[in-house]
Amino acid sequence: MDIKSILLKKFGFEHFRVGQEEVIRNVISNRDTIAILPTGSGKSLCYQLPAYIKNGAVLIISPLVALMEDQVAIMKKNGEKRVVAINSFLAYKDRQRIMNRLDLYKFIFISPEMLMQNNVAEQIKKLKIAFIVVDEAHCISQWGFDFRPDYLRIGEFLKQLERPNILALTATADNQVLGDIINYLRLETPAVHKHSLDRKNISYSMKQMNSEHEKTAWILERTKKTAGPGIIYVASRKRADELAIYLKEHGISIASYHAGMEQEDRAFIQEQFITGEINWICATTAFGMGIHKNDIRQVIHENMSSTIAGYMQEVGRAGRDGDLSAATLLFTEEDIGKTRFIVQNDLPTETEVRHYFNLIKEGSSKNEATQLSGISETGTRIIDYYLERMPMESALLKIKEQKTEKEKQLQNMLHIINGENCIRKSLLKFYGETLVAAPASCCSVCGLGEEDWLFEMKRGNSTRQIVDWADRLARLLQS
Amino acid sequence: MDLSFLLLTIISRLDGERSIYASYHLLRGKRSGQTLQDVEYYSLKGFFCILPRLKIDVFDGAINHLKKAGYISIDEDSVVYITKKGKEVLHTLPLYRFNGWDYRGREHVFFSRLSLIVQTASYFRADQKSFMPMQNDYDIQLFVKEFLLKQRILDEEFSNQLFQELRNSIEQSGMNGCQKTIFVHRLGGYKHAGWTWKQLSDEMGIKPFTLSLYYIESLHMLLQTISQSSKYPLLTEIIKNIQVSTYLTESTIKTKELFNQGMSMQKISQLRHLKMSTIEDHFVEISINDQSFPIEEFVSATEIAAVVAKSSELGTKRLRLLKEEFPSLTYFQLRLILGTGSRGGAKWISNQSC
Repeated sequence: MDIKSILLKKFGFEHFRVGQEEVIRNVISNRDTIAILPTGSGKSLCYQLPAYIKNGAVLIISPLVALMEDQVAIMKKNGEKRVVAINSFLAYKDRQRIMNRLDLYKFIFISPEMLMQNNVAEQIKKLKIAFIVVDEAHCISQWGFDFRPDYLRIGEFLKQLERPNILALTATADNQVLGDIINYLRLETPAVHKHSLDRKNISYSMKQMNSEHEKTAWILERTKKTAGPGIIYVASRKRADELAIYLKEHGISIASYHAGMEQEDRAFIQEQFITGEINWICATTAFGMGIHKNDIRQVIHENMSSTIAGYMQEVGRAGRDGDLSAATLLFTEEDIGKTRFIVQNDLPTETEVRHYFNLIKEGSSKNEATQLSGISETGTRIIDYYLERMPMESALLKIKEQKTEKEKQLQNMLHIINGENCIRKSLLKFYGETLVAAPASCCSVCGLGEEDWLFEMKRGNSTRQIVDWADRLARLLQS
Repeated sequence: MDLSFLLLTIISRLDGERSIYASYHLLRGKRSGQTLQDVEYYSLKGFFCILPRLKIDVFDGAINHLKKAGYISIDEDSVVYITKKGKEVLHTLPLYRFNGWDYRGREHVFFSRLSLIVQTASYFRADQKSFMPMQNDYDIQLFVKEFLLKQRILDEEFSNQLFQELRNSIEQSGMNGCQKTIFVHRLGGYKHAGWTWKQLSDEMGIKPFTLSLYYIESLHMLLQTISQSSKYPLLTEIIKNIQVSTYLTESTIKTKELFNQGMSMQKISQLRHLKMSTIEDHFVEISINDQSFPIEEFVSATEIAAVVAKSSELGTKRLRLLKEEFPSLTYFQLRLILGTGSRGGAKWISNQSC
């Protein structure tokens, strides 16, 4: 069967989206491939479709449990049941059940940590693997905005296999990151597909405010008068809850959404948002995943983002249906300092690293050493990786380089926020792209054009009300 | 419903007999000899394990509230007493209908199954065969799949019957208005997503913790109703294996098996590499739960009668006090007597209020 018929039969689409077909053809012809496709452009099809042509299982290495679980749920929903996620959150009994029958699955999602466990790796080696997908491949680069040392170990794992082909997927990669992906994954003359990250239907605004209070007031006005559905990104779970309560008191149809909620409640909110029962979601940036909605009209950032790549990924959730959408970022002078502090604090200082190193040498466990030296969990992962491979002085140098890099990324973001240049142009330039033609609604520098659509569209009114119990039961099962 | 007052009811039964933390362990369902024994001695089965994840600071907060209000006092040994003022409010408290002993957290498994079945039925009625399940636990999904395979789920008659059974059993269960509202709004389906705890709390003006107590009680009430009736064939299938099948802990079951093979306590202790005191705990647990336990192998009928009479006379089940009265009996023997004495009804516990 040719790929067009599979596309129609398995996925129900008549046409490929821009970029998909070339990637798929490369994968089918057993070539290492890197695909840089913007968020929301249907990256997962690039491995799902070839899987149906090739024999054996597809191994998908994915960095975030939430992302993984989410992808599995979507695929199951779409009728593919031979799919499984293996990660450290799996209950022991489930893990045993799955590991014993790995051969049952066509799509195996796995976190890099799990790949490093010998028994897991042994089981995988026994399988026939069609090809390997490295999702969010930018995580492998220490220059990337969310470097994950565990990703570097993927290369080590691959050495043990009779190497199947690799498809590296990411939404964001500049040349430096691209180089790292090729290098660490040991790709052999890969085909690189890069598609413009420009999302013409999204307009970008940066608004400087004088205080947090002013931001809140702006958000209230905005949610009252303009179109949803939308996501408001905030800095903490606590703030997500607070802001949602405040807006709800003013009649906005909104709920908070973050990792601190129990699974069932999160599923409810997601469902309410997707069906339009609620119009806005107030979320932390750490937990924006899992929301698949094509008609998101607005993304509002209540704070400055620390990297352009992160910002692009969050903004990219808007307007997947291709209709006009607005991205607005609010910031104050103080935000800059705050963001810098948070970013830099993620990485350990030299004193902390030395302290940690000595504690380990004196026989402390890793957990003890982490606690005693006061290093963050991410920090420890990074140090561990380096200390296993190089002397301490070199490790310290590496960490210092990373700090400089983070500061550079922050400066890049600041440049865009404060800049007098077209925001779209600057964002693209960051990825080495040149803007050809700006849309009418471009950005707060060029002008947003007629923004009437934002105000004209009817706001989703909240119709959610507690109803009589028997009525509700009837609506669920009798209507 | 409020944690403080729930605790006041519990404390009224432990009055002067147990430490304040006995009620904490009870609510969390600690499976230790002491807690399992308390459940029996003081008729607290209903409250066992209804809040397995209760945090100590929440508990302490509720206790402080009772202390401040002057309803309870706690002595230097942490033993808790209900005050005169506390006794006066007791009759204003609701009659709780928890049945934690039989369900021990498994009521949530029941609800998850029901939630996924209702969601599926609702979507299928709307001709939507593909949707995101609100329950992502594998065992739940497997159960529901097997359940639905046996039903004619494409036929509207299935959801009609489910509706009828649910409506009638909820009605019959005696849930109050709030409980019915919470219960049905935690269910979701096509175009009607479920409500989060926060949303219910905001809308109903009830604290989340109170909501969850109402909810757990309502599950116990509904489970009771379904299990005692033959009118709900679908729901009867859904509650399969929800009630705990054995009241003994796993370790105790092993001990019991060895005892049934004729092994002595010492022998069991050696074989299982467990301390004698642990084996004693197991025997007390067996004696409480097993009508056929041969207590006469450990104490005489006259001794039992004497201890039961004394305990009743003094109005206490505190071992230390009884030991003073019966120095020739061991603590283990006393515990066995108190355990079997409380078995099968609380005739001689009636001096306790409530």
